[in-house]
Amino acid sequence: DDKEEGEDGVQQQWEDDWDDDDVTDDFSVQLRKELESAGES
Amino acid sequence: IETARVFDFEEFPTRDRVTYMYYTGRLEVFNDNFVLADQKLVYALSHCNPAKASNIRMVLKYLIPVKLSLGTLPKYSLLQRYNLLEYKEVVQALRMGDIRLLRHALQTHEDQFLRSGVYLVLEKLELQVCRRLMKKIYILQKQKDPGRAHQVKMDSILKALRWLNIDMDIDEVECIMAILIHRNFIKGYFSHKSKVVVLSKQDAFPVLSARPLTS
Repeated sequence: DDKEEGEDGVQQQWEDDWDDDDVTDDFSVQLRKELESAGES
Repeated sequence: IETARVFDFEEFPTRDRVTYMYYTGRLEVFNDNFVLADQKLVYALSHCNPAKASNIRMVLKYLIPVKLSLGTLPKYSLLQRYNLLEYKEVVQALRMGDIRLLRHALQTHEDQFLRSGVYLVLEKLELQVCRRLMKKIYILQKQKDPGRAHQVKMDSILKALRWLNIDMDIDEVECIMAILIHRNFIKGYFSHKSKVVVLSKQDAFPVLSARPLTS
């Protein structure tokens, strides 16, 4: 039981499809605000 | 007369094979041969005693920076289980495109990363993070104005960098864009005169893990 978690578990702990089009996270929301702000500093 | 027998790698005891793959894998990391490093370290990982968490952790310490460089992220549960939380912010930075967070993470864990020798590998991830930031800018533009989204103004990039407190002038940004295009992180071209990155209308951001490696 423990064995399976150690071996097979580790192999399945990776993500390839993370580079998605999601822009709903806080970082993206804030980025949108910055890009849309007219300020040229 | 006996001739020297050629040994098949698989004939050696598992523990020796794992040790061999671990050390030669580490060597490949330092030679920037990430594809080979990945193969060797994955071999070590899948053949080592799964009950020995400390061994798994030793392999992961090098496999994670390799996988990150090849465009694959470890899940948070993996970092947690093997006490490798020093990679947490690095992974987050890649996911978000947050250059500031990457720099912060490298600074915070500088000693640790330098000691294991992966600091330089992680430092180079800044390009991938820049790519992700470009992609986010592109997606946000596309939502607002799909027709012109493939043109990313230098101004927008500088604005984003200023917001992140990254001190880079326009020449530096141009240089990074040139590298991103050259290394096939981004498809498109850069117009120095009109200060615009023009992204390819097809597949402007090729999948990282499928990207042919140029070193």
